Amino acid sequence: MKSIGFKSAIISAAISLTAAGLFLLATLSGEYTIVERIGGIGWVALLSMIILMPVITPLVKRKSGGN
Amino acid sequence: MVTETKHIKKIALQIAGMTCASCVVHNEEALKGLPGVENVVVNLATGKAAVEYNPSRVTLAEMRKAVADIGYEVVLDTARFKITGMTCASCVANNEKAIGDLPGVGKVVVNLATETAQVEYASDITSLAEIKKAVRDIGYGVADKVEGQESLDREREVRQREIRRQFINLIFAGTLGTLVMIGMFQPYWIFPNFIPSWLNNKIVLFFLTTPIVLGPGRQFFVHSWNGLRRGVTDMNLLYATGIGAAYLIAVINTFWPDAGFGGRDVTFYEAAALLTAFIILGRYLEAVTRGRTSESIRRLMRLQPKQARVIRDGQEVEIPAEEVQIDDILAVRPGEAIPVDGMVVEGYSSVDQSMITGESIPVEKNAGDEVIGATMNKTGAFKFRATRVGKDTALSQIIKLVEDAQTTKAPIQKIADRVAGRFILGVHALALATFLFWFFVGFGLWFSQESRLLLTPYALTAVGAFGFAFIISVTVLVISCPCAVGLATPSAIMAGSGKGAEYGILFKGADAIETTSKLQVVIFDKTGTLTKGEPSVTNVLALGSLSESEVLHLAAVAEKNSEHPLGEAIVRGARERGVDPEDAEGFNAIPGHGVDARLNGRNILLGNRKLMAERQVAWDGLMPEVERLEQEGKTVMFVAVDGSAAGVVAVADTLKETSALAIEELHRMGIQVAMITGDNRRTAEAIARQVGIDRVLAEVLPENKADEVKKLQQEGKVVAMVGDGINDAPALAQADVGIAIGSGTDIAKETGNVILMKDDLLDVVAGMQVARATIRKVKENLFWAFGYNTLAIPLGFGILYPFFAQVVSPELAALLMATSSLSVTLNTLRMRGFVPAIRRRISSGTSPSLSVASPVSP
Repeated sequence: MKSIGFKSAIISAAISLTAAGLFLLATLSGEYTIVERIGGIGWVALLSMIILMPVITPLVKRKSGGN
Repeated sequence: MVTETKHIKKIALQIAGMTCASCVVHNEEALKGLPGVENVVVNLATGKAAVEYNPSRVTLAEMRKAVADIGYEVVLDTARFKITGMTCASCVANNEKAIGDLPGVGKVVVNLATETAQVEYASDITSLAEIKKAVRDIGYGVADKVEGQESLDREREVRQREIRRQFINLIFAGTLGTLVMIGMFQPYWIFPNFIPSWLNNKIVLFFLTTPIVLGPGRQFFVHSWNGLRRGVTDMNLLYATGIGAAYLIAVINTFWPDAGFGGRDVTFYEAAALLTAFIILGRYLEAVTRGRTSESIRRLMRLQPKQARVIRDGQEVEIPAEEVQIDDILAVRPGEAIPVDGMVVEGYSSVDQSMITGESIPVEKNAGDEVIGATMNKTGAFKFRATRVGKDTALSQIIKLVEDAQTTKAPIQKIADRVAGRFILGVHALALATFLFWFFVGFGLWFSQESRLLLTPYALTAVGAFGFAFIISVTVLVISCPCAVGLATPSAIMAGSGKGAEYGILFKGADAIETTSKLQVVIFDKTGTLTKGEPSVTNVLALGSLSESEVLHLAAVAEKNSEHPLGEAIVRGARERGVDPEDAEGFNAIPGHGVDARLNGRNILLGNRKLMAERQVAWDGLMPEVERLEQEGKTVMFVAVDGSAAGVVAVADTLKETSALAIEELHRMGIQVAMITGDNRRTAEAIARQVGIDRVLAEVLPENKADEVKKLQQEGKVVAMVGDGINDAPALAQADVGIAIGSGTDIAKETGNVILMKDDLLDVVAGMQVARATIRKVKENLFWAFGYNTLAIPLGFGILYPFFAQVVSPELAALLMATSSLSVTLNTLRMRGFVPAIRRRISSGTSPSLSVASPVSP
């Protein structure tokens, strides 16, 4: 169970950070302050993580044969 | 017993329904056909299938389905226990998922309103301890489910504890939250005149808000973390994200005002504080009102008498009611509750059975009559022998049935749960989309320096793109919370099944309630259902000098010792008319024809037309009348005295007093009514005309009744069959809803989805009215719940902002969310005063008068 949770967290975190990175890239095209960028990165990463964890965990569980 | 070799596991499945060697082959083939099943050996004698399987390729659920598909059933252990800490539909979904994912679990139903889980599982594969651990692992509590009075006490205790806890939280968060709000308002309007400025100091607000977030608000963070680390999300996560984000920004703007989140003018302390307070207000109100929706079952439990007076060695001894044994003789005095079910052996009384059967008029009890535990003895004292005690009493069976009904899910609820379960993810996705939209697009297009948060003192002058998009995003999180969806259906089902039990109408499951509400056709079995099922005297005709009363008297004398149903009907008919037949001086039964008896020197001959022909009794004067009666389907008995025709007595089964009214009411409700009978078509149609039945299914053999039901179903109708729960069992089982009528007290034996304790057709109508009201309540609740979300989400999203420059604040969102849950619970509570229309009309005297029993053929 722990390894599934850990694996899921790693995968979710990786995708969330990618999303946050994309957010950062998008802000570069506008005039945003550094604080707005950091705040946005944090919020996008957090929400992405929350969205992804419940989706990724069952997938990982299924891949590892339900154990 | 499970053994494991590498990836192959062994399990012994108990299979029900096997009767022969071919059953063994069928089951073996069905199971072997599943990928991942290596070997199967089915033992007919033990009813067990030893299955070797690879758990990564085949699940228990798949094995169950394979067996069920060929008409057998894998019998699993059933466990019921309480789950504490659930607050919403997604908690239900999370628990069902956590339990359902365990390899040995076949079926799981979690009910939010009763806070219970019912799990069917193979203890060989997964133990109950593992199931409970899975629940605890995702952050909920587990308690053993107890029954009866103990359950009542414990449930109340737990609820009181929860109410007290949330009340303390509410007082704490409410008081400090109010101070925070006052502090935030201090610089505005007339407030500087009487609110000290130090209350607006951000450090002071930090110290006022922090205890709220870390105290009463802590529960949301703990629950969401427990869930999240196992990949499940619930409402707590919405709250935690909302409160946490508001609090974090407030802290940053207080201690690092130059960080760029709007500075000290834009702290959201009141958002974090009031958001917590309002969510807890919602929780508190929910805890208070949720207990009331289960009032009906508590009322049933409270009926259980605590003491019984048992006769031991000729003395009355008072003992606890649960210690009464079968065959104990118990004494009951006037005004006392009857402790268990039994049979009267001595004495006479009238008993108020309304609490069990819904029958308002007390029932007379003599030696040999059945008494029901928990009913109230009114006038006399009597003794009775206990026949059912403990869990077998009618009351215990009713409570169990109602509890079971409340633990099941109506199809409509399954859809709502599925939607709500996915909702949380959807809401977070929506919050993310909202943030991105307002950050990159909305802020640049529409942001105005005059922007305000509804019901807060803020002008959002100082916020940048992040602060603005962030507030709206948090508001969407809070405002979208589908709390009310989780309560909408189970609370109404609880109220409905309890309400049914009040009237002696027991629904076996929430799906029975839902299907009953959709019925289009009701089929009544004729004999014993529409009719009383016992023949009675309908006509007496006299010839010559004898009166009708004298003819009946003579017939009754002749039949006094008869055990034939027609003879018994004549004797009963005579007594009902005040004629008490004396014993005949001589009596001679003529098998298949009638009887010959003597009274006061007169010869009485009673029998059929053939007997009269043999004895050469002439009936010319009465024959036209006799033929008319026979055409009506009545059985005519001829009475001759001293070789001369004296008169005739016609006997027939009679319609129940309420049959016509019940059918009239069903028509009023738009239901098509059919009758099924073995009678010939002409007789059946004559009866159908009397009560207004639309469709007659005549000349149907008992074994073919189920086929007739099927034919109606094939026409696309939703069909109910009303009949005797034992004799009509196949037809009841075939119907979409089987309604077993007049079940009496042995409820557990009954077939049928709906069980009527009284032998009263009006309860069929009342049952349908309760079901319709319940499902109407479910739909209203779902409307309020989903309607709220449908309206609130666009508002939270800021759809009105481009026009009015105002956005909904997170705390207002929390208040709206709490109101939504409250409106659903209060709407359900309105069921408490519900009285089925038919009962209301009868009790108010506005119903058409009950039709007088009219004769029909036997």
